Amino acid sequence: MAAVPNDLLTVVPRGARPWLPGVLGLAVVAVLLGAFFYAESEWEVGVLLAIAAALGLAAPRVPLLASAETAWRARPRLFAWLALLAALGLIGLFREEHLALLMLATALFHIAACMGLNVQFGYCGVVNFAGAAFFGIGCYTAAMLAGHAALPTALIFVLGGACAALIGCVLLVPVLRTRGHYAALVTLAFGVLFRSFMEVNDTFGGPQGVKLPDMTLFGWALAMPPEWFGLDWSFYVNYALLGLALVAGLFVLLSRLERSWIGLALDVVRLDETAAATFGVQLTRWKIFAFVLGNFLMGVAGAMYAVMIAFVAPSSFTLGDSLILVSIVVLGGVGNQWGLLPAVVIVMLVPEKLQFIQEYRFLLYGLLVIAILLFKPDGLLPRRLRRYGTEEAA
Amino acid sequence: MDIAQLGQYVVNGMMLGIIYAMVAVGFTLFFGVLDVIKFSHGDVLMLGAFTGYAVYLGLGALGIEASWLQLALVVIASVLAMAGVGALIARFVVLPLRGAPAFNTLLITLMTGMVLRECVRLFFPAGSNPKPFPRLLPDTQWAFDGFALRLDSVLLFAAGCAAIAGVHLLINHTRLGLAIRAVAQDSETARVMGIGFESIVLLTFALGSGLAALAGVMNGLYYNEINFGMGLLLAVIGFSAAIVGGLGSIYGAILGGFLFAALQTLGAVALPFGSAYKDVFAFAVVILIIAIKPTGLIAERSSERV
Amino acid sequence: MRIRPAFRRLAGAVLCSLLLGQSAAFARETVKIAFIGPLTGGISAHGIGGRNSAELAVQLRNADPNAKYTYELEAMDDECKPNVGVQVATKAASDKSIVAAIPFYCSAVAIAAVDVFHKFRMPMVVWAAVLPEITYGNDYQEVNRVSSTLINQNKVGSKFLVEQGYKTWVSIHDTTDYGKSMHKYFAENLPANGGKLLAEFGVGSDQQDFTAELTRIKELNPDVIYFGGLTPLAVRVITQMDKLGIKAQFQGTSGIFGDAFIKSLGAEAEGVFTTYDMPPVEQLPGGKFFLDAYAKAGYKEGFEAYGPYAFAATSLLLDVIEQVGPDRKKVIAALRDTHGKDSIVGKIEFDDHGQNITPMTTMYVVQDGKWVAWGESDYASGKRKLKNL
Repeated sequence: MAAVPNDLLTVVPRGARPWLPGVLGLAVVAVLLGAFFYAESEWEVGVLLAIAAALGLAAPRVPLLASAETAWRARPRLFAWLALLAALGLIGLFREEHLALLMLATALFHIAACMGLNVQFGYCGVVNFAGAAFFGIGCYTAAMLAGHAALPTALIFVLGGACAALIGCVLLVPVLRTRGHYAALVTLAFGVLFRSFMEVNDTFGGPQGVKLPDMTLFGWALAMPPEWFGLDWSFYVNYALLGLALVAGLFVLLSRLERSWIGLALDVVRLDETAAATFGVQLTRWKIFAFVLGNFLMGVAGAMYAVMIAFVAPSSFTLGDSLILVSIVVLGGVGNQWGLLPAVVIVMLVPEKLQFIQEYRFLLYGLLVIAILLFKPDGLLPRRLRRYGTEEAA
Repeated sequence: MDIAQLGQYVVNGMMLGIIYAMVAVGFTLFFGVLDVIKFSHGDVLMLGAFTGYAVYLGLGALGIEASWLQLALVVIASVLAMAGVGALIARFVVLPLRGAPAFNTLLITLMTGMVLRECVRLFFPAGSNPKPFPRLLPDTQWAFDGFALRLDSVLLFAAGCAAIAGVHLLINHTRLGLAIRAVAQDSETARVMGIGFESIVLLTFALGSGLAALAGVMNGLYYNEINFGMGLLLAVIGFSAAIVGGLGSIYGAILGGFLFAALQTLGAVALPFGSAYKDVFAFAVVILIIAIKPTGLIAERSSERV
Repeated sequence: MRIRPAFRRLAGAVLCSLLLGQSAAFARETVKIAFIGPLTGGISAHGIGGRNSAELAVQLRNADPNAKYTYELEAMDDECKPNVGVQVATKAASDKSIVAAIPFYCSAVAIAAVDVFHKFRMPMVVWAAVLPEITYGNDYQEVNRVSSTLINQNKVGSKFLVEQGYKTWVSIHDTTDYGKSMHKYFAENLPANGGKLLAEFGVGSDQQDFTAELTRIKELNPDVIYFGGLTPLAVRVITQMDKLGIKAQFQGTSGIFGDAFIKSLGAEAEGVFTTYDMPPVEQLPGGKFFLDAYAKAGYKEGFEAYGPYAFAATSLLLDVIEQVGPDRKKVIAALRDTHGKDSIVGKIEFDDHGQNITPMTTMYVVQDGKWVAWGESDYASGKRKLKNL
């Protein structure tokens, strides 16, 4: 709540190097993230979590950190590019670390899926509790097509999205007719139904799941270690780059969408349906658009993830997994693409890094998320109001 | 299928239905006062059942053997304890997020549920294994040619009905109920009228959670088995039942609960392609119902708040 | 409350070295191995039991003054989910300091992750997952398994019960990979043995209420109810069978074997029949030692059905490492070359797929709150009778 007036009062400093704190801030985030991927022992993980928590709590109060934020918001495009570079740098640094790259790629594919969810309920207000089901449809499409047909891999990714979008259309009637909790139930029921169906039905591999063969994307052997610059690389670097390309591409696409009149229309539909209808915004059209687009994105992300993991089974697409996707979106701050980054780190990577406490890890993880929400009830990076007239809109 | 079989299915389905209905009523109460989904509800139920079990063990250690006394103490302790837990959750987890989007409440209660579940799994002695819940009700049974009616089932059903009726009376015929309804309808106005908003919310959560504890103990008495994961599925079904029935209406929650039980029984018995598809069937029907009746079977009267 | 495993490990190491009073414990090179199983979620009891047993094998070895290395067990949680399984398998296999692994309780996880072990050339011995495809679905030199596939259980069990005079069966199984495969091999073998399957009921792995299915079963009135699934579900089915007055004999599979089953059911467990891939632990060489050691180690959780397998797999692996040194390549070759090796689950004999082929399927029946091997029970001697006979 406090963020809104803050935002309006923010004056972009016209000093000599207003971007400097921003670059510094970005570097701090990148270094922390890199260290987190590397961290193994309990004290390393503990210290890093403590530093991140301290930074997060202190950010609004320490001038340097606050000005980093200001700089980011003043020149979003520049910093998006820098963030991309930083990510590439991290991938280069990890080139031989299989697990770090696997986790990074997993995180990226989940960010992509959550971007789909963000379009649905962040932009348009259409809730979806079946994220894992649509992600799973993408996975299964890839598994079926890769196993049975000689299609180019790129086409398989697109078809994964298309299938998710198409099957999602079955839900259009109830989703369009309902709101709020009622719509939540429709998707929740679909999520439970999907998992149960895949498990009892043997056509798609049944509960034992299906294996995927190694794939080649435009001559790029995804499952083989590449030989770039005469260095040794893990084969997971391929998937990390693929994930990064997907997320970067979607980021550009969705930021444009958000700022275009389409984004505006979606906002109106979310905020006040009655007003939207009064001003001639077609509710049905925009809800269908958001729902189908979101499912498509989740399907594409799922297809890519399935190719990486090389295996799909129904037990990966439970209601719990759908709720994990929702958790990432909510924790990051609904509607803010940048928020997905810290959220995915907390929701997907922290449990992995907590392996050393074995059976106690979900207890600690649950307490951690509760604590974060109590400190930041609107999520880590709540979406800000639209601002026109700055570089953002240019 | 003869009439005795049919009767057996109906009796089984009724028992299932009353437990679902009790969970659904809790969801409806929370929706009513705060407009939130409290996903830890199923785990509160589970915790209630475990509290009851622990009390039973404790009574056994104290040498109290009379089963009616055991039963009474188990129920009272579990209901009171969970009412307290419910109020605590409302005070420290749900209310602090009142200004935030509804989904954030969902996430935080989801995590609260996970913490409760993990605590039972890790810290209850051998908590990851199922526990035998004691048989505290008389096991008299009337059998008529393939149809068995058990006294304990009848008693449990009656207790469930009484509990729901009690909540209904409380909501509709007492001053406290009036306050709850006032908060549900318009919390701002209710506040202006001098109703303590926070205390009403806490009381409502205590009420709903106490009901869940009762449902948990009943569940234990009926199945004679409890486990740390039992709340998960019950929460999903209770939530579905509350919504299918129509939010904010106790009748809707009851209707939804029984409908769900009927769908599951039907799916397990009458589907031509095997009982494994019964969940697919039940949830498909739920989607269909919502498609036809977008605000539930018993529509909320003041759903439009423009 | 239990001390955190990492701390306990540390405390254990310190204690060991103090007790032994030798500097040898410090001079030995440390070798790491990984354990993978479900430590959280619905079936965590089995995963934790296996973890404890593996940990026990490592502790006992470390206390042995003749051991060449000090071993360290890194336990990882796969949540019984294939994608998480691939993740932790990658974590273990890509860590060069970890020599080998003792992975998997859940079959779907195992099938998803065997490729990872092959890719990274890491030797492993599966401790519990039972699907045949894990070893027979590939030609990976790295993959071995001490537990049996689920085929034999279903052959032996139904044949035996038909011989006892039962004629009709109904099958209840959960719809996970475990339950469905159990049912598949059961349904294949039953007619060949002369029994008749009246109906099949697939149920959810978290289902609470079975009264609808059981009422239908009551109508069908089978001699035996076959159950393919794990303990929690079996407990619910049996309790509800009793309530509905169903008198059929209950036939389980390895998934219900263990103390938890009897503890949860009490007197109702009496007369339950199951097949399980191991003779009674105490009758096997070293079995009594395992039981005593486990009791002495003071674990708060039981070792459950597959704990002895985890112990046997870990001990086998440690023996091999002692023999050839902590070198993955050598361990792969030496592991595959395991023939007629004594263990607490019987002689281990790997075929060319790394599958332990010693037939160990044993029939058990619950008698007075204990699992008793059929041959030694009152039921075999005729003092008591199975239901419906």
